[in-house]
Amino acid sequence: MIKRHWSMWLLIGLVLFVLYMPIVPVLILSVRGEAAGEWTLRWYHELSQTTMILKALRTTAIIAGLVGALATVLGLLAALSIRELGIPRIILLAMLLPLFIPGVSMGLASALLFSMSGIPSSILTIVIVQTVWALPFATLIILTVMAAFDPTYLEAAYVAGASRWQAFRDIEFPLIAPGVYGAASFSLIISINETVRTSVVQGPWNTIPTYIWSTYKQVGLSPVLYALMGLIIISTIILALSYLALSRPRKSRG
Amino acid sequence: MVALQGGLTRHGVRHAVGFLNRHGRRALLCLPLLFVAAFLVVPLGLTIIVSFWERAGLKFRPAFSLASYTTIVEGARLDVLMRSIIVAIETTAISLLLAYPIAYFLARKARPQATRIVLVLFTIPFLINYIVRNVAWTSLLGRNGTVNTALVESGIAGAPLDWLLYSDFAVFLGLISTYMPFMIFPLVLSIAAIDRQFLEASVDLGASAFSTFRRITLPLSLPGIFAAIVFGFVGTMGESAVPVIMGGVGYELLGNTITSSMDVLNYPLAAAISSLVVALMLMLMVGWYAIFDLKTFLGKILEWRP
Repeated sequence: MIKRHWSMWLLIGLVLFVLYMPIVPVLILSVRGEAAGEWTLRWYHELSQTTMILKALRTTAIIAGLVGALATVLGLLAALSIRELGIPRIILLAMLLPLFIPGVSMGLASALLFSMSGIPSSILTIVIVQTVWALPFATLIILTVMAAFDPTYLEAAYVAGASRWQAFRDIEFPLIAPGVYGAASFSLIISINETVRTSVVQGPWNTIPTYIWSTYKQVGLSPVLYALMGLIIISTIILALSYLALSRPRKSRG
Repeated sequence: MVALQGGLTRHGVRHAVGFLNRHGRRALLCLPLLFVAAFLVVPLGLTIIVSFWERAGLKFRPAFSLASYTTIVEGARLDVLMRSIIVAIETTAISLLLAYPIAYFLARKARPQATRIVLVLFTIPFLINYIVRNVAWTSLLGRNGTVNTALVESGIAGAPLDWLLYSDFAVFLGLISTYMPFMIFPLVLSIAAIDRQFLEASVDLGASAFSTFRRITLPLSLPGIFAAIVFGFVGTMGESAVPVIMGGVGYELLGNTITSSMDVLNYPLAAAISSLVVALMLMLMVGWYAIFDLKTFLGKILEWRP
């Protein structure tokens, strides 16, 4: 098998190599000391001593939690409304709209909305902008899982006397739960990584990515910045792997 | 008394649940639609309105002025617009030429276990902040970066290569490595969704592998191809950070032109450029929607009637 397709595996290997290439030196440089051959966690320690970074870290965590919850709930409602409101095409199109709007345009549009309606920049405005961006992904993930759910189960529950809420809670939700967890992890990851939209509406609030972006633009690269980038890379990998573990399709359900 | 109270509360709860079932449920289900309308559709409408306003010092005021649009047409920004479109088309095409064979191979030829692992490997860099990834490229590709050091020390190059960073090459590398992973997923999904019976029928009727591909697989995977093109094109066309990081000072694409107009507080101009880009994207969206087969994607969800 592998022998027959060696050229395709070579192509895949090369593409993956290029994708991973920039990640590795960041991780190495983040543990490099000033003297040659010295390995140190000093830069990570310095991260934990910098107030601005700690504040940005806290802001990022709060925003990610809120976006993860809000986008998942809205995504679940959107998936249900696609099934139940009788206008599936219109709702799906509206949910996918954010995918078609470039980041700067979305940032600019939100900034205009907030400034013209007199809403000051806050954690909430960042949460709103990031939720709009995460919503298509959350909706799509839940929809794909929901498409595999056989709605006759619900009808059976109604016949057995369950209310709509009971049927949803006891029958459908447990079966689509992997999609819901998937949507939550994905929204968290999107929130943690979002930069361009956030940087337009952030006001005085820095998240870790907007901090990296503005520091890079102003003073360029430094070992502490490498450590911060390393932190982002490692936490994204951990979140991605936990998403995969949670959303792994169940082999059979009896 | 206690029983009566219990009965009352239970009655109340049932009444409330009944009310919620009738009205609240619909209202709740409308929330996502309202959210997108309020925080995306209305803001985009505002952008179009502001693009006709005029500048007054550092602020802007209501008017009906075409000044921003004439600035775009007359100034160097028209060149930037054209170049951005060309760069977006080229990077999208290159990404598609890389992503399609890989997606085809993963969906058809590779073992499911291998496909799963490779897709996970593609997911991880796609999820890592792309600004971090692009900034990381600069430390690799700079004059004193890892690549140049390796090339010079190994004697492959006599002097550090200048075109590795702050060049078209770097911008293309940044854009492709940022958006190509986006494109693999819709392609894999659409190719894997093609019914194998069509392929078997084609082979049974004596078609060659190539004509089976050309007449069955390629047309049936068009929705995925179009989705991939949209992801690549929307991303590269509106990208504002990659040209700054990889192209260096003065490298202008439409995305960072919008940001730099905002930096000098020329919001009407930023709004006008942005509106043009969004209009282009909405045309793409309509095209995608026309050929996107909702039924295969939503399956039973569409047939279900409560």
